[in-house]
Amino acid sequence: MVATGVEPSVPAAVLRANRVVARSAAAADEGVHLDQRRREAQKRCPELRIVEHDPDRDAVAFEPVVRAIARFTPRVEVVEPGWACLPVRGPARYFGGEEAFVELLVGATAVAALDAGPSARVRIGVADGRFASVVASRRAGEAALLVGAGGSPAFLAGLPVGWLHRTGEASVELVDLLVRLGIRDLGALAALDPADVLARFGPEGHHAHRVATGLDERGAHATAPPEDLTVAASFDDPVTVLEPLVFTAKSLADELAARLAGNGLRCTRLLVAAATDHGERDERTWYRADGLGAADLVERVRWQLASWMASGEITAGVVRLRLVAIGVRGDGGDQTALWGGSSAADERAVRAVARLTSLVGDQGVLVPAWKGGRLPAERCGWVPAAALDLTDARDVRRRLGPLAADRDGNGGGGADEVVPWPGSLPAPSPTVVLPEPEPAVLADEDGHLIRVSGRGELSAAPVTLAVGARVPRLVTGWAGPWIVDERWWDVTGRRRVARLQVTCDDGAAHLVVAEHQRWWLLAAYR
Amino acid sequence: MDLALAAAVAPTTMAAERTVAVAPPLASLLPEGGLVRGRTLACEGLAAPSLALSLVAEAGRAGAWLAVLDLPWLGVEAAVELGVPAERLVRVDAGRPDGSAGNDQRGELWGEVLGAVLDGFDLVVTRVPPRVPATLGRRLQTRLRTRGAVLVLIGDPGPLSPDVTVTSAEVRWEGVGGGHGHLRSRRVGVEAAGRRVPRPRRAELWLPAVGGAVAAAVPEPTVLHPRSTADPVLDTVG
Repeated sequence: MVATGVEPSVPAAVLRANRVVARSAAAADEGVHLDQRRREAQKRCPELRIVEHDPDRDAVAFEPVVRAIARFTPRVEVVEPGWACLPVRGPARYFGGEEAFVELLVGATAVAALDAGPSARVRIGVADGRFASVVASRRAGEAALLVGAGGSPAFLAGLPVGWLHRTGEASVELVDLLVRLGIRDLGALAALDPADVLARFGPEGHHAHRVATGLDERGAHATAPPEDLTVAASFDDPVTVLEPLVFTAKSLADELAARLAGNGLRCTRLLVAAATDHGERDERTWYRADGLGAADLVERVRWQLASWMASGEITAGVVRLRLVAIGVRGDGGDQTALWGGSSAADERAVRAVARLTSLVGDQGVLVPAWKGGRLPAERCGWVPAAALDLTDARDVRRRLGPLAADRDGNGGGGADEVVPWPGSLPAPSPTVVLPEPEPAVLADEDGHLIRVSGRGELSAAPVTLAVGARVPRLVTGWAGPWIVDERWWDVTGRRRVARLQVTCDDGAAHLVVAEHQRWWLLAAYR
Repeated sequence: MDLALAAAVAPTTMAAERTVAVAPPLASLLPEGGLVRGRTLACEGLAAPSLALSLVAEAGRAGAWLAVLDLPWLGVEAAVELGVPAERLVRVDAGRPDGSAGNDQRGELWGEVLGAVLDGFDLVVTRVPPRVPATLGRRLQTRLRTRGAVLVLIGDPGPLSPDVTVTSAEVRWEGVGGGHGHLRSRRVGVEAAGRRVPRPRRAELWLPAVGGAVAAAVPEPTVLHPRSTADPVLDTVG
C-alpha cells in the first residue's frame, strides 16, 4: 500500500482484475478485505480510493529495503516486490546471535523504508524455513517475531490453512477443499500421513503438507538439474536505457524457459546478474514457490535493472546480462484452465481488454450477455467487458446462460437457470443481427405490400423483397408467419409482430417482421 | 539428465506446430490442413460471416480468445451454434470514446485498434474499412506475423494481402418452401485460392448443417432424384 503514496489513515485498495490484492488499514477497518470484488469493496466503503495494480511501481519502492538487507548478506532472495527472504544462520553468527542481527536489520530497513514514505513499515519474521518465516513476519506486531529453532511446527500448528494460499504455496482450490474436508489448521494437515496426502491431493497437496510440517523447499529433485541453465548476452556498445535490455532479456528468458521445459523443469530461483563497462555489478536472486514462466523471468529482470539504473550507483552502460536458473523443480504442467482457473491466454485477453478499454472507451469493448426473448436482437445483448471478471467461471455462466459451453455437461450448474422461450425460432440463428431494424418492402405479384391478418395469414404469396434502397430481389421461398404477441396485458408495452423467413434468388436468407403493417429487416442468415 | 538426451527431447518449433486445428470439413480447403499463426485469411461471398466463424471455432474451443473488431452486427447465437465459445468472445468497436472520428480517420483508427487487438488475442475476425492506407496494411500484417495471431477478414481485404481467400458461391437454402417449414441448412460451394494455395481447392459444405454447425456435404448424385429436396418438411417451431 505504501508504494502508492497513500497514508494508512486513508481508505484505499489496490485492485488486480477487479479484485482487491492490498488495502490500507483504514479500508480494512471499513470491511474491505483481500480477494473482494471491486463492487463489494465500494459498497462497504464508498469513499474507497482505487489504485491499479502496478508491480513495477512496487518494485521501485521496495528497492531501498532490499539494498539495505544486501549490505548484511548477499544471499537475499526477492519473492515479489515487498517480500524478501534471507538465510539468517550465517549472518547471525557473524553479528552475534539472531536477536542482535534482527535488531540491526530492523534498524537498517526502517531507515531505508523511509524513502518509500513516512508510513512505510518493515516487518521481520525468523523461523525454520521459508514458509514459517513468512507467516511469522506477517504476524509480527511492531517489528520482528522470532520463532526459536525447532519451534516452527508448533508455531504453525494452530494457524488456519488459508495461510498456504496467502503465501502462494497452494492454490485457493486446494485450501478450499481442505477446509471442506474439515482440515482447518496447519497442524491437522501436518498430522496426516504424507503418503495419504500425496495419494489424495497429488504433488500440490504433498508440497502443502511438507510446508505445513515446518519443513521447507520443494523436495529434492530426483534427477540432477542439467548444467546448462545459464543464458547470457553481451553488448558491444554499453546500453544505458532499459528497453533494449528488457528486449534482450526476453529472448534470453524464452531460451531459458524452453531449455527448462525440454527437461520437464520449471525455474523456482533465478539469479540475474548484470555488469557495466566500468565493472559495477549487480546480482540478485528471485524466488517463487510455484515457478517462474518466461514472462515472469522477464518481469524480474526488468524490476532489478530498473531499480539498479535508478539507484544512481552505475556510471556506465550495461555490457553483460546473465540469467541463471539456480533452483528448479519438476513441472507439473500449467493447464490450470481445466480446473476453472485462468490460463496464460485468459490473462493476456484480460489485459488486452483493459488496454482496449482505455483506447476506445468501455462501450467499445463488449462481451455477450444472454437476455432471452423471441427476436434475435432481444435474445442476446452486449455488455461492457471492463466491469466484469471474464475468467470467473460462475460469473461467465450466469452472464451467458444457455450460450455457455455447459451443454457439453461440464459444470452443469446453469441448467436450472435456463428457461426455454416457447415460440423462438429453431437453429440456425442469423449470423447478422442488425443493431437497428432496416425498413423493407415485401410485395406480391402486383407490387402490393403484403399484409398480415389478425389471424396470422398473409394477404398473398410474397414475390419480391426490397431492403432499404436496394434493388428488389425475387423471393424463392418463405416460411411463417409466426406471430409474437408479447405483453398483451400491457396497454403501452404490448407488441405484436409477425416473423417471416424469406429466401431470395441471390441465395440470401432474411428474417423480416411486420409490425403495424410495415415490414422491417431484423436479421440475415449470411 | 544427460545433455545429449536433453537436446533430443527439447521441444522444437516446426511449421506444423504453428498451425491451429479447424473443423474437419474445412481442413481440406487449407493447404496446411489448419490455420497458420501469423497469416491472414479472407472470406468472401454470401456466406462469408458463417465461413469466418466456423474457421476460428475449433481454435476457440481449444482455449484461444476471439476478438471481433468492427462487426457490431455479429449474431452471437449463430456463432455459438457454429462452435465459437461465447465465454472467450469479445467484441471491439473502433471509435473514440467520445464518438469523434471523421470518416477520413476511420481507417487509421481501425488500424490502431487492430494493432492493440492483435497483441491480446489469438484469433481476430474483422472487416477492412474503406480508405485504409497501403502502408498501414503492411505494418499490420508484419505485426500479425510477429504476434502469431490469426486474422480472418470478412469481405474485401482492401490493402491487406490475404494468404488464402475463401470464396463461397452456389448457395442454396433447405427447409423453406412456399409458406411452410423453416430454414434448416444451407449448402455452400466453397473455393480456396491465394498465394499459399498452389491449386484452388474446392469443397461442398453444409454451412450451417441442421442444428447450426458445419458439416461436409456429399457430392450430389446428378438427376437421379430430381424431386428429393422438394418434399415439404413439417416442423414445429419452438
